[in-house]
Amino acid sequence: MRDPSGFMREEYQDLVEKGFDWKLRVLEGPSAPRCKVDGKDVIMLCSNNYLNMSNHPRLIAAAKKALETHGAGSGSVRPIAGNLDLHFEAERAVAKFKHTESALIYQTGFAANAGLIPQLAGKGDIIISDELNHGSIIDGVRLTKADRAIFPHRNMGELEKVLQDSDKKHNRILIVSDGVFSMDGDIQYMDQIQKLADEYGAMTFVDDAHGEGVIGPDGRGIGAHFGIAGKIDVEMGTFSKAYGVVGGLIAGSQDLVNFALNKSRTWLLSGSHPPQVAAAQIEAIKVLEEEPEHVNNLWDNTKYFKNELISMGYDCGQSETPITPVIVGESHKAKALSERTFELGVFALPIVFPMVARDAARIRTMMNAGLTKDDLNEALAAFEKAGKELEII
Amino acid sequence: MALIGFIVNPIAGMGGRVGLKGTDGVLKEALELGAEPVAPQRVEVFLRRLDSIIESRGIEKRIEWLTCSDGMGEDSLRSFASDYWEYEVDCESSAPTTAEDTKNACKILLGKNVSLIVFCGGDGTARDIWQTVGEDVPIIGIPSGVKMHSGVFGMNPEATAEIVAEFISGEMDVAEGEILDLDEEKYRKGEWHIQLFGTAKTPHEPTYVQVSKVQVEAVGEDAIKEEIAESIVEDMEDEPDTLFILGSGSTVGAVSQELGIEFSLLGVDTVVNKELIAKDVNESKLLSLLDQYPKVRLVISPIGAQGFILGRGNLQLSPEVIRRIGIDNITVISPPAKLAQTPVLRVDTGDKELDEMFYERQYLRVVFRYKTMKLVKVGK
Repeated sequence: MRDPSGFMREEYQDLVEKGFDWKLRVLEGPSAPRCKVDGKDVIMLCSNNYLNMSNHPRLIAAAKKALETHGAGSGSVRPIAGNLDLHFEAERAVAKFKHTESALIYQTGFAANAGLIPQLAGKGDIIISDELNHGSIIDGVRLTKADRAIFPHRNMGELEKVLQDSDKKHNRILIVSDGVFSMDGDIQYMDQIQKLADEYGAMTFVDDAHGEGVIGPDGRGIGAHFGIAGKIDVEMGTFSKAYGVVGGLIAGSQDLVNFALNKSRTWLLSGSHPPQVAAAQIEAIKVLEEEPEHVNNLWDNTKYFKNELISMGYDCGQSETPITPVIVGESHKAKALSERTFELGVFALPIVFPMVARDAARIRTMMNAGLTKDDLNEALAAFEKAGKELEII
Repeated sequence: MALIGFIVNPIAGMGGRVGLKGTDGVLKEALELGAEPVAPQRVEVFLRRLDSIIESRGIEKRIEWLTCSDGMGEDSLRSFASDYWEYEVDCESSAPTTAEDTKNACKILLGKNVSLIVFCGGDGTARDIWQTVGEDVPIIGIPSGVKMHSGVFGMNPEATAEIVAEFISGEMDVAEGEILDLDEEKYRKGEWHIQLFGTAKTPHEPTYVQVSKVQVEAVGEDAIKEEIAESIVEDMEDEPDTLFILGSGSTVGAVSQELGIEFSLLGVDTVVNKELIAKDVNESKLLSLLDQYPKVRLVISPIGAQGFILGRGNLQLSPEVIRRIGIDNITVISPPAKLAQTPVLRVDTGDKELDEMFYERQYLRVVFRYKTMKLVKVGK
């Protein structure tokens, strides 16, 4: 007699034995710069809430108001009966903020990648990806019948060779890349990619999840950062990181939006955001336009924290953004450093082989605009103490 | 405790320094020409590096080496002791050592259930070991021979130490590595041809796939080969009436397995519309098939350690055959782990002008996952 569901336990046990199972930590209260994790008061250095926007009184007030005016849920998917005025308003706000013709909001960033990428290329086409692209792009690509090619990380010469090679062999060409890479905090050369794409008649798609609200003037994202807003065919982003809410977005031409909303199965088949989410999204963009101090604080904090770490003797890699890796070498050192800094009141996750190279294990820190100088000094003291104890610095 | 076999071929590599094509059977000649042993030095570099990796990486597992007497392992392990391992002499060696000593040692090591055999030598040693252990136990070589075409060597002794360290920490996958050696029969007739003898198991870096933001999962070599094979089979569906020529080795063999047809690991098979047309064909059969089928595709994979796609183990694919197929109709396939070890593809068709045509391309497309390719350099 077969055991119909025994594999679940077996596969889970296997993960536990290898130490690959997720041990979920509990955040007690809001995701704030200082918060309580598993009963311990810590300085948060691993959330994506870069601008501390999730705690902004204006977002909270807007969400509360929408609950009163529109209720707790949207009632349907958007194509049938769940398309609220607030959804359209949020999309107009995104397009205006990002200087694009139009925008579309998905339920999550993952839903945007997994729903749209497979519609952009099919049999006879090719999708060209940076080798370090995020898993949700990879999953989107997997759903297509298109050929795929990989180019070495941020290597424009190699990208051009792939374009030359693909030019005659394929119909559509789509170049897909992360904007900010989440392991090293480096930025893709989107301006050069766009130039190459124009030359070879290729489409461009950038996943700007870690750049949205962070890079570019007022945090308008990677298009604005390189002065090519509106030129990238698909600027994809998320509301779940710097904007402090949840949801995925794409910004581009009206043609793109018309096409995407009629073709993306994730968008067509998932319930739409509840009103309070849409209202908070709208307010997040308004705050970004009206209160530049959040983005400024984020960068001031980032520069201070990074410089101090480097002067202590830590290796912070090639980071150009508020994602600062503290590279310590072998995996066991990164794990030990993470455990010790947690004891000292800093919450940041170790990233070890095989996520990163064997000799480049690290603690990945993500800055928050809401941290004060005192908070940062406390976190830095923890890194200094733990680093010295473990003979890393 | 990791139980690992350790075999040194103390005369390996001696022929090379004095211009011989190997050392097997010509030791006396090599010695007369003034050859000096090279293996002991290579083994020491390996052991020293392994000791330092285990220490710096905090690897907890200890090694129990099972080895052979005197110059076939014991001497090296005695002269370089480490806190991280012990050794035991289980096999005898004669003086001078012979291939039979190696084969006998392998039999004993198999009986002791070692999890890996580390050897120091060249293609001849690899072949002797493979003849006894087959695919029962993975093997990895510290390169020290005159010829090292087989896909079971680290790039240098330090790289072999890295592989062994990762193997004992459980981070290594086991994949196929081709056993290549000089075709002695042809060599005696004055031709120099490297022949594919079969495949051994060897530790390989797994292929990692991201499963979540901060987690990746290792994908086994067989699963990867299957994915690549699926792509090629889909190409066959898209390209009806095309003659698909399938080269040798297990990566290309996976295509035939996907089709559910018989295949020759060491030879070249031909398929049209997903049906086997002719198995293990020679050059003249290929040429006549090429007359018959105007549309053609050749599917090949790098064979052995040095990234050769042509000129190693597939003599049927003669310069004339390749010219008739055309470089544009060649599809190279390779699992990513193997590709990582052979960053440059090489050709040695025996026709300099044809080789140059490959070099002029600079890059070839290599399919390394389902429908996924990258450009890989072709060079000398």
